[in-house]
Amino acid sequence: MFFHITLERNMQLHPRHFGRNLKENLVTKLMKDVEGTCSGRHGFVVAITGIENVGKGLIRDGTGFVTFPVKYQCVVFRPFKGQILEAVVTMVNKMGFFAEAGPVQIFVSNHLIPDDMEFQSGDMPNYTTSDGSVKIQKDSEVRLKLIGTRVDATEIFCIGTIKDDFLGVINDPTTS
Amino acid sequence: MSLEPFNRLVKLAARAFYDDITTKGDNQPKTGRSDNRGISVVVLDALTRRQWVREEDLAKDLKLHNKQLRRMLRFFEEEKLITRDHRKETAKGAKIFSAAVAATNDFHHTGKEGEEKVKLHTHSYCCLDYAQIYDVVRYRLHRMRKKLKDELENKNTIQEYICPNCSRRYTALDAIRLVTPDDDYFHCENCNGELVAESDKLAAQEAGDGDDNARRRRREKLKSMLQKMEEQLKPLADQLTRVKDLPVPEFGNLQAWEARAHAHARGGLGDGSSNDPSKSSQGYGGTPMPFLGDTKVEVAFGKEEDLKSETASTSLKVLPPWMIKQGMNLSKEQRGEVKEEVKMDGTSTSSTVSDDKKSSVNTDDKRSIQDEYVKAYYAALLKKQQELEEASKKQQELLISNTSNMDSGTSSARQVGMKFKREEDEGDEDVEWEESNVTSNTNENYKVNDLNVQAEPSGGDEDEDDIDWEEG
Repeated sequence: MFFHITLERNMQLHPRHFGRNLKENLVTKLMKDVEGTCSGRHGFVVAITGIENVGKGLIRDGTGFVTFPVKYQCVVFRPFKGQILEAVVTMVNKMGFFAEAGPVQIFVSNHLIPDDMEFQSGDMPNYTTSDGSVKIQKDSEVRLKLIGTRVDATEIFCIGTIKDDFLGVINDPTTS
Repeated sequence: MSLEPFNRLVKLAARAFYDDITTKGDNQPKTGRSDNRGISVVVLDALTRRQWVREEDLAKDLKLHNKQLRRMLRFFEEEKLITRDHRKETAKGAKIFSAAVAATNDFHHTGKEGEEKVKLHTHSYCCLDYAQIYDVVRYRLHRMRKKLKDELENKNTIQEYICPNCSRRYTALDAIRLVTPDDDYFHCENCNGELVAESDKLAAQEAGDGDDNARRRRREKLKSMLQKMEEQLKPLADQLTRVKDLPVPEFGNLQAWEARAHAHARGGLGDGSSNDPSKSSQGYGGTPMPFLGDTKVEVAFGKEEDLKSETASTSLKVLPPWMIKQGMNLSKEQRGEVKEEVKMDGTSTSSTVSDDKKSSVNTDDKRSIQDEYVKAYYAALLKKQQELEEASKKQQELLISNTSNMDSGTSSARQVGMKFKREEDEGDEDVEWEESNVTSNTNENYKVNDLNVQAEPSGGDEDEDDIDWEEG
């Protein structure tokens, strides 16, 4: 799920960036540092929307670096258990398939794939129904429900299912 | 007694969940003769009748092997039904525990107390942990219901994987980082073995069936299972609700319980002066509530302190005769004369008995004996003094008569006179010697001189020397 929240971070700036463009340099550095990262608590930082406040700089002892506490607003993405989202299949395996929904990876084990779909290996391994009407292969879009999330310090993994109603393939790449 | 509903809970739980636990290992053959399934129920029931109990004693009571029982208790400890305490003790410590147990048990505890070994052995004690049992049983029921309900509602559990080589477990969450090899399987991190999916589904998956039918059948199976479970566990669930509001019986730490039990035993003995420790258990009552125990402890200790203070208040004691040395300034009390005056009324024995009744048993027993001894001694002393005086008078008469006959004995008469004085002076202190000297005559003088020299070297030296010379 996406959230728009205010976060704070202490940015260290080298004295060579001091001058007229101090604030811009600071913001650029912040964006470079933070966008695309993930924290366990907030989730993935997708984009910084604005700087709320830049505090007074504190000169570090010994070095000339200066630390600025920066408050900024950003869009974050954090997956939750029970959430339904669409994902793109990246790899199909005998044990299940892997899908990606933006920065987060989701694994659907074969046990949570409907029983009528069977694995078919080949150069393009896929899961397909007995009558061949539904097929899950690489680059297929599927709607799945998250049943578990694992949050490390800087990574989030998820487990999903397509065994419930209204879940499964949305868009077949071959037919579209 | 608040123990009863909790004990019932324990018994119900034991019969519901643990009645097919055996003490044999899984790889051993379970023959009809040696199958002891359900022994855990017996053990748990036995524990409901005891509080803290030594495992060896429990094994003896239940006629089980030590190791079997220990295995069972270890299992219960893992199930969080009991608490165990292991401590190194000498035989003395173990005896103290046995005494504590005897004081709180409702029946006679016949443990072999006198046969403990001298070295420090690790004794293991165990006790039912009622608070934990309540929680554990509730959690178990909750998990059982949750599993069935999840399956029913298709809530979908997270898949688990097991490595067949090192039997390490992984969940699907870990699977994501295990997928790097090229082939289609997950590999174990340690041994690189292929992981096998663990199917933990209660309803058997029927492959190849029509979709709806299979699902419906599974759902019905699960529903019936859930229904049966609720029905069979109803008495246990009822007992749980009944017990929910009651205060949990708490026996506390092993040391705390032992201290309390000792205090009760002592308090019981002091009140009723009964030798049977089991009687004091009645006073202790069936409810081992901590606050009750504490107040009793105070009372018992208070009594003991009073007794101690009584005995400590008497300052000077009567000295026993073997302690009395010459030249000691004995106070009246030490000589026991104060007591003698008190007891002049009746016979010595009766007065000592009355003394006994007045004060505590231990110290006054000793005192009465001392008093008697002292009195007897002084009586004998007086007697001997009288005898001595008579004897000395006799001697005087004899000697005077002798000297009157003899002419050359003027000096000797003087000697005799002087000697007599000395003898009389010394009569008080040298009773034994005077007695032996009364018999003979002239020889006695010589002996007396020597003895006198030894007894009082300070006094009368010159006279003695003169006497020696004249005799020689």
